[in-house]
Amino acid sequence: MKNKINIYLVEYAINAILRQKSKSFFIVFVFTLLTFLLTSVFFITNSIRYELDSTVDTLPQIIVQKIKAGRHYDIDVDAVDNILEIAGVSDAVARVWGYYYFENAGVNFSVVGIEQYENQYKNSFEKIASKFDLSEIDAKVSMVVGQGVKATMHDSYYKEYFNFIKPDGTLKRVNIAGVFEADTQLESNDVIVMSKDTIREIFEIDESKATDIVVKVANPEEIPMIVSKIKLIYPDTRIISSEDLKVSYQNIFDYKSGIFLALFIISLFTFFIIIYDKSSGLSSEEKREIGILKAIGWRVDDVLKEKFYESFIISFFAYTLGVGLSFAYVYIFQAPILQNIFVGYSQLKTSFELPFIFDLQTLFLVFFLSVPIYIAATIIPSWKVATLEADEVIR
Amino acid sequence: MIELKNILKTYELNKNDKVVALDNVNLTINEGELVVLKGASGSGKSTILSLIAALSKPTSGEVIVDEKKISKLPDNFASVYRRDNIGFIFQKYNLIPTLSVKENIILPLVPLNPPANEILEKLDKVAQMFNISHKKDALVRNLSGGEQQRVAIARANVNDPKILIADEPTANLDEKLSLNFIEILRELKALNKTIVIATHDPLFFDLDFVDREIQVHNGKIVL
Ligand SMILES: Nc1ncnc2c1ncn2[C@@H]1O[C@H](COP(=O)(O)OP(=O)(O)OP(=O)(O)O)[C@@H](O)[C@H]1O
Ligand SMILES: [Mg+2]
Repeated sequence: MKNKINIYLVEYAINAILRQKSKSFFIVFVFTLLTFLLTSVFFITNSIRYELDSTVDTLPQIIVQKIKAGRHYDIDVDAVDNILEIAGVSDAVARVWGYYYFENAGVNFSVVGIEQYENQYKNSFEKIASKFDLSEIDAKVSMVVGQGVKATMHDSYYKEYFNFIKPDGTLKRVNIAGVFEADTQLESNDVIVMSKDTIREIFEIDESKATDIVVKVANPEEIPMIVSKIKLIYPDTRIISSEDLKVSYQNIFDYKSGIFLALFIISLFTFFIIIYDKSSGLSSEEKREIGILKAIGWRVDDVLKEKFYESFIISFFAYTLGVGLSFAYVYIFQAPILQNIFVGYSQLKTSFELPFIFDLQTLFLVFFLSVPIYIAATIIPSWKVATLEADEVIR
Repeated sequence: MIELKNILKTYELNKNDKVVALDNVNLTINEGELVVLKGASGSGKSTILSLIAALSKPTSGEVIVDEKKISKLPDNFASVYRRDNIGFIFQKYNLIPTLSVKENIILPLVPLNPPANEILEKLDKVAQMFNISHKKDALVRNLSGGEQQRVAIARANVNDPKILIADEPTANLDEKLSLNFIEILRELKALNKTIVIATHDPLFFDLDFVDREIQVHNGKIVL
């Protein structure tokens, strides 16, 4: 009997919400907006963090770059053999890559060279190597491009091939052989993969040189030790380990989330204004109504139950609406506006698909940040009035 | 039986100032009795009614209803006491204007969570008895004063209380409606309810079915 939901109380609560249409509408509107903002920010953050983590996982363990006068220079391919000699190194590959600035679209492509007989230093390149015939790609002077690159090229009417402008001003025509599929969108979006020979031609890189060398280590614990050994052999190099990269990726990202922390605080602030407004007291009609209910035999907990239903229905409705809208906004419409702020570090301005991450924790967090606070803010002032002597309230 | 014993009721206005609303009031009202409390404005009539209904507590003294010390009841028990025993017709009716007639009348039943048919039965019974059935779905704020009072009476009776209390029931009514109320009162008296009315309306004086008239003056009962 005690636990049975009193349907008349629920009815009364719904009635109470509908009776004050404009006030209820305002509360639902603000509440929904805040839930929506909060959840969207969390959803986007989660998706990007997921992308980022996956990206960081695919980063090479060690990158060796030649440094001259504080600037990055091409490194001698011969170094690969010497590095392979170091105990603990399981593989070393000379990479040939660069950024190609496509003026028409105002974006940078990352152009990466791979070779048939090399071990690929990235899983996604492994996939390309198995999916496409690399000797064919080489022979036909073609390339495999990321989704974003393909879209950007399409926009400039390059459908079958693309003309790269070489440093001497002449054109190099490269065919588009296919689309690059990677584990993460962040990684593949601006990437073009082609044979090293083609890249050397486009960027004018000598046969004996490479952009940098990536090193694979069997035991990750030994990375610091191997880094110092390479440094000893090649003092004129900068050596970057995956740990360093992780930190710098994270830095870019955390800076972005700082902006959102600000937004988040503003939302919370607004929310607390509503709460403050509510808890600063009830209107005289609201007080009187509670007094009347008490006078005709409602107990304090009958009144509070009713207020609970009332605030729960309105806040849960708004919460659900906000979460629903945010799901649609982030995952169906891919978070227009907000996404640009977050994914600013991707140099390519093309589409980037937010992976769907169903994160109960976010839903719970937003729920507990809003619904119970609102319910408490409704119940506490009602409780104050309900515990007064009924006679005082209705006089 | 309602007993008021040595009641003192003061209201504190501020630290140094208080009003003595009732001063050493002793009063016994028997079951089935209809009592009219008379007296000038500010004499303390409403205060007596709210003590009987446990809407407020005496500063000292005791209110005993059917051997129970009403004046000592904790708030929640006072609510239950009102719900089970008291039908109060307030001077300003105290209806909820934005609710319909029907919703107002069933309000005292809501905490009991009775089956739907029981609610409808009780609603129909009092709505018919007090001639407001035809307006069941109208909003109370759209009703005339007389209609609002009939809703208030219906609500006070929906729980079939033993004790009915009415504070200045004819203060807002014209003579015709006032006489109408007196007829209703006669019917209620015939149902053997204990009825306490506070009024200074002369229409209530010397009515054949009124058992006793009690004069209240300056917070004291004068016989
Ligand atoms: N809540 C209160 N705070 C302060 N004074 C009060 C309060 N309630 C009643 N009083 C005072 O107590 C006295 C008795 O009031 P009460 O309402 O019982 O009189 P009444 O006989 O019902 O008068 P009326 O005919 O005007 O209704 C009055 O002086 C009134 O001002
Ligand atoms: Mg009065």
